[in-house]
Amino acid sequence: MPGDNPISRDAFLYLAAQAGLDANSPHLDELFPYVQSVLSSIRSLDDIDVGISEPDMAFNPSPEDK
Amino acid sequence: MDALELCYLSAGELSRLIRNQDVSPVEIIDAHLARIGETDTTLNSFITLLPEQAKAAARRAESEIQAGNYRGPLHGIPVGLKDLFNTGGVRTTSGSRIFDTFVPDHDCTVAARFQQAGAILLGKLNMHPFAYGPTGENADYGHMHNPWNPELITGGSSGGSGSATAAGQCTITMGSDTGGSVRIPAALCGIVGLKPTYGLVSRHGLTPLSWSLDHPGPIVRTVEDAALAMNAIAGHDPNDVASSREAIPDYTTALTGDVRGLKIGVPKEFFEASLDPEVAAAVQQAISQLEDLGAIVTEVSFPLFQHAQGISGTILMAEASAYHRDLLAREGDKLYPPVRIRLEAGLFITAIDYLKAQQARSVFNYETRQLLTDVDLLLGPTEPVTAPPILAEKVRAGEQTIGTTAALTQYTRPYNITGGPAISVPCGFSESGMPIGLQLAGKPFDELTVLRAAHAYEQSTNWRTRRPPI
Repeated sequence: MPGDNPISRDAFLYLAAQAGLDANSPHLDELFPYVQSVLSSIRSLDDIDVGISEPDMAFNPSPEDK
Repeated sequence: MDALELCYLSAGELSRLIRNQDVSPVEIIDAHLARIGETDTTLNSFITLLPEQAKAAARRAESEIQAGNYRGPLHGIPVGLKDLFNTGGVRTTSGSRIFDTFVPDHDCTVAARFQQAGAILLGKLNMHPFAYGPTGENADYGHMHNPWNPELITGGSSGGSGSATAAGQCTITMGSDTGGSVRIPAALCGIVGLKPTYGLVSRHGLTPLSWSLDHPGPIVRTVEDAALAMNAIAGHDPNDVASSREAIPDYTTALTGDVRGLKIGVPKEFFEASLDPEVAAAVQQAISQLEDLGAIVTEVSFPLFQHAQGISGTILMAEASAYHRDLLAREGDKLYPPVRIRLEAGLFITAIDYLKAQQARSVFNYETRQLLTDVDLLLGPTEPVTAPPILAEKVRAGEQTIGTTAALTQYTRPYNITGGPAISVPCGFSESGMPIGLQLAGKPFDELTVLRAAHAYEQSTNWRTRRPPI
């Protein structure tokens, strides 16, 4: 997705409804630019070379790291 | 002894007086309740105060000690818990009116362990709603106010814990740290905050913000008190799926005052980020002090530091929205608006983005582990700025003006990602009289080295002896 517009208004409204938000609420006018800002900032993750690293899901630091 | 003096003694100092029966827990609790009465209309540290319960507990402690049943260094010590630690029979609001009347049946593990150690609960402390913010704002129960200047923030999310400890309302308080929420108020209020290794202190009975980033930790006035608190609360808990089975040392053995030969790395990227020159100067002075004490300080490089916000922020938002999704659907309009919008935005993070952030976390953790094979500790500022005004959306940090949340979590988030221990200790004051914090971070489960360095530095300075003007 392009960095300047990570989500269209239509896609935002569709996903908002799917997430259980009231698609007719004026509050969404405030939420839309906020979501755009969040999704743009997430794109910075693309700059990290994660290679074949697996997600750190079952997260527990190892005592062997000590 | 003067009541105000009792309020500013550390747990270590009070415990020696209590053990020798030079001071009674009843005197101590009465002094603290009076102090709270004098100061809390300004500070707003407490959501729920427990004067009668605390007085009764103090009388029991006094009787036990007089009968020769001294339980240890926390017996009779006044503590406060951030209001997301469940307390049986005492309401636990998570900082939101939505839970104004929620009374848990059982204590969280931390509360139970404090009680077992004989500590006395004074009350439940104010916080950023649901711990989702680093400033200490709360429209439901009132904003928290910094004891050094009540027009400025305490930092958060454990803001009431910060103000209560700094102002002598409590000797030990507990916070929870997901992106810095123990260390931020500690730094901005001029006290000590320890984020222990993930899994070392049980999360059982705490309202989650982000399962994989939440760390409960003590907020205190001395490093010794952090060690004493950890001796009481650390250790395996079968009720917490992430709880470690690592053996628990006596943390006070770290308090040697000796850092000769200790290797400390200072990431150069910390000083290339947005940073107030007064803070930078105070941290440089602390580095010189540690070198004078015999530590070997070297510059290191931490390239992925710049990505800590992206990694941590993505994981936090997704996990927080997953946990609070039902609440959001049910009572979203009753949430504090800045918290509501963050929770709603998290609903738009895809599974792919979340997993990408967890992949990046693996890489970030590998880089940090590599750094910590060459040095024992990483050092830097806890905060790039001193406390900004309440509700300020942006702060000036050096040459740049940046968002307050991004600024306050800039140096703290990396160690929520790694899960390793990190402490903030006072390292100076700005010209305007506001505290500055120094952060030391270590290898997972190596709290002893973190405490050792923090204690040696603390004891070589007199920052801990300053008191806020309130």
